[in-house]
Amino acid sequence: MGRENLAGEALILLRSRLCNPKFVFSPFSDSADSNYSKLKFILSSSVTEACNNSVLLLGPRGCGKNAVLELVIEDLLKEYPDMISVIKLNGLLHSDDNCAVKEIARQLCVEHQLLFSKMVSFDDNTQFMIGMLRECGLAHKTVMFVLDEFDLFAQGKQRLLYCLLDAMQSVTSQAVVIGVSCRLDADQLLEKRVRSRFSHRKLLFLPPSKEDLQRLIKHILVLPTDSSLPHDYVVEFNAKLLNILAKERFKQIIDTLSNSDSTCSNLLRFLFSAVCHMDLKSGFLLIENFKAALSSIQRQPKLEGLKDCSILELYMLVCMWRLEVREQDSYNFNSVMKEYRSIHDSFQTSDYYARNVCLRAFEHLLERELISFMDHRGHNQSTEFRPAKLLISYHELYQGLKSYRSCPAILQKLIDRER
Amino acid sequence: MPSIAGSKSSPLASNAVTVAKSGEIRSGGDATPRKRRLRSNSADDDGPIAPTPSPGPISPTKWKSPRRCANGSPNLIDKSRELLLKKLSNSFFDKPNWNPRDMKQVSAVKEALHVSTAPYTVVCREDEQKRVLEFCKGCVELEKAGSLYVCGCPGTGKSLSMERVKESLVEWAEEAGFQAPDVLAINCTSLSKTSEIFSKILGEDQPRKKTKSSTSPLQHLQNLYSQKQQSTSVKMMLIIADELDYLITKDRAVLHDLFMLTTYPFSRCILIGIANAIDLADRFLPRLQSLNCKPMVVTFRAYSKDQMIMILQKRLMALPYTVFQLQALELCARKVAAASGDMRKALCICRSAIEMLETELRESERNLDFSSAEFGHSDQQSTPACDLIKQDIYIVRVEHMAIALSKTYRSPIVDTIQSLPQHQQIILCSAVKLFHGGKKDATIGELSKSYLDICKLLLIPPLGIMELSNMCRVLGDQGLLKLGQAREDKLRRVTLKVDEADIAFALQGVRVFRNCLHAG
Repeated sequence: MGRENLAGEALILLRSRLCNPKFVFSPFSDSADSNYSKLKFILSSSVTEACNNSVLLLGPRGCGKNAVLELVIEDLLKEYPDMISVIKLNGLLHSDDNCAVKEIARQLCVEHQLLFSKMVSFDDNTQFMIGMLRECGLAHKTVMFVLDEFDLFAQGKQRLLYCLLDAMQSVTSQAVVIGVSCRLDADQLLEKRVRSRFSHRKLLFLPPSKEDLQRLIKHILVLPTDSSLPHDYVVEFNAKLLNILAKERFKQIIDTLSNSDSTCSNLLRFLFSAVCHMDLKSGFLLIENFKAALSSIQRQPKLEGLKDCSILELYMLVCMWRLEVREQDSYNFNSVMKEYRSIHDSFQTSDYYARNVCLRAFEHLLERELISFMDHRGHNQSTEFRPAKLLISYHELYQGLKSYRSCPAILQKLIDRER
Repeated sequence: MPSIAGSKSSPLASNAVTVAKSGEIRSGGDATPRKRRLRSNSADDDGPIAPTPSPGPISPTKWKSPRRCANGSPNLIDKSRELLLKKLSNSFFDKPNWNPRDMKQVSAVKEALHVSTAPYTVVCREDEQKRVLEFCKGCVELEKAGSLYVCGCPGTGKSLSMERVKESLVEWAEEAGFQAPDVLAINCTSLSKTSEIFSKILGEDQPRKKTKSSTSPLQHLQNLYSQKQQSTSVKMMLIIADELDYLITKDRAVLHDLFMLTTYPFSRCILIGIANAIDLADRFLPRLQSLNCKPMVVTFRAYSKDQMIMILQKRLMALPYTVFQLQALELCARKVAAASGDMRKALCICRSAIEMLETELRESERNLDFSSAEFGHSDQQSTPACDLIKQDIYIVRVEHMAIALSKTYRSPIVDTIQSLPQHQQIILCSAVKLFHGGKKDATIGELSKSYLDICKLLLIPPLGIMELSNMCRVLGDQGLLKLGQAREDKLRRVTLKVDEADIAFALQGVRVFRNCLHAG
């Protein structure tokens, strides 16, 4: 009873850690050449020295660009209260100039407790923005513009970007423009005028390496010894966890996970799923939890569909595949029946069913979307004459047959031979 | 040192001549760079002032046959510019080093190098400014209208020079007794509609609703300029239109009408248009040529290496200490002049190099803290000596500049490809192999076949088609592939957006990819 409560508490602690980007990215902020420290240095020097700056954060999605930026801004707001105001724009919402300027004016109004009117024209909004920048410059307050999805702002005439970056060329304004984008060539998309005014500072966010992944997992999952949980439970939990982490099987699981997608967000999703699979009765993480999490993330819907097929349906699939291998581009149910008959003739199988039973199996496969018709035009024709095609690949079929509970040896042999 | 010719005397020269050459504060190692500088300067110079350099200690690359500088200005200006450089470099050396730990000094230096601090006199643009000023003066004297087109790459000082011209013109008009012209300086990006420029010229605010009057601002202006003015003392108007190509509409009417305003018999506007395209006047204003009033074109060429060095040194001249090693500035100017000739970039890279120095300082301080914590007392005596040595090396050196340059000019593509997960790298490899024979694009279905082949080669279990198209989408998001739209996922067309050589270079560390790419 007590163990379940403890396990529940530990689960809550781990889950809250995984959902808190501040906790996740804090080990990366220690080293001096991490992106966190570089970004913090650039932004804090712009604030303290009152000079204008622009920086671009690039990297694949899910590598922590926005998370690190939020951390840095939070720290700076604590260090320099009342000296920074942040304006956030998103390329998906505000790529049109009118929308963008209106949004900037609205955020400025909210920040400085002024009244905002929706009826104000584009010109007036621009004048307001320039005026506010000047005022903030005089008051030594830095305005930080965060442009999310920066590459979407670079469509069209790029007037907003030109306007913002040009305002930074004058002595009166004090602003920093931070662009966040997942396109690596985001600065090549800029017009040459805009690119000339941009300061070419780029910070590249890369997915973590294998060692960093291990460190991150350890950092997140190891329970702290000074929490409210009893000491011996924590010690036992950590010992078992470190044991799992050192196993070869675990490394294989992590490799399989990161071979297709090595970003932080994918890893966090995996860990969340693994932690949720924890058995509350025992109260410790097991390697089976991680295996279950992996299979829930890397789902193969077609394989799951194959698991529920009957033997006859498997025969149909194998026949269709043999037809495809023989370069027969279009075939219909009749050709499949012919192939089925030829297999029966050559191998003398016991699974030989009548035509209408096979047609029923064919329709089942259609419903389950393991096969489909070539085109959707021939509704007048009956099912037997319309050309069909397979929707699963050879590998999926092979794997499905291998893991099928009582697959006839004939089918395995047919698949194997043609490999 | 020979004295500078009198006509070119500037406040800088008088400053430099009084500085004694013999006063050496720094160690003897700096004498050689100065000598080397003089020789390399004179190698470019083909005047009689240059002493014959001996081929001894100089590296062969510095000894070039005397030839004209790339910007092709006349010999005399070349020579005086070289001498100016020598003067500047002399005075450069005799200042004490700066202390990068002093925050005030750091911010002063960064401010001096910021793009927004415009110097009072614009160096290296005297010819162009003179031409524009003479043109405007002529217009004001004769009370005639005229148009001028200023063109050049971004970062070549066009807007800055026009600001100076504006001020000089107003000053000159007041001195010479003419009526100072009204000045209207607009940036055409701030206009929401291109025809607003006419109402701005007229001086009205943009009304919210349609004007009640029957004439548009353009017609109003045209009427105004076609009739003789009642009073003779109507002022000339100087219009400086920045980023002129924002006025180009489909039918090119607005741009045309704007320049045509200067052709009316009683027009009073002097129009200066600034843009990047060199042939804007030819392409978009052909009718003006038939009327024989094509705008005069002043081209601002991209800065050469020497000009950039001069501008940078002029900015640093005001500071009482040395910040940069001279070779570092030269490296920066050389690289940027070869790439684009954009002054903003050079300033940005210099500031970036200062930040490199600051990070190096912080690292060394941290290391020193650790080491002194380890060794304790024994370090006390050696710290003054260490400090002295450190002072000498804490100026921005060539290494810092090289790192700043590589950061600016390096594309992040190679790093990103190297850090991609394995299957995405395999997808890029298979795309390279597929597009080897000159094919430009393929469908995802064909790509998946190539992907399966490579997976078989590498003995890696391949992923299904759904995961494959997901990964293609992720690669497309990053700008490595380009994905088209299609009804079905398998039929979407895929193009490589990265050079094959880049992918081969990035993946050369992995043996299997190297073999695979070479075999294909």
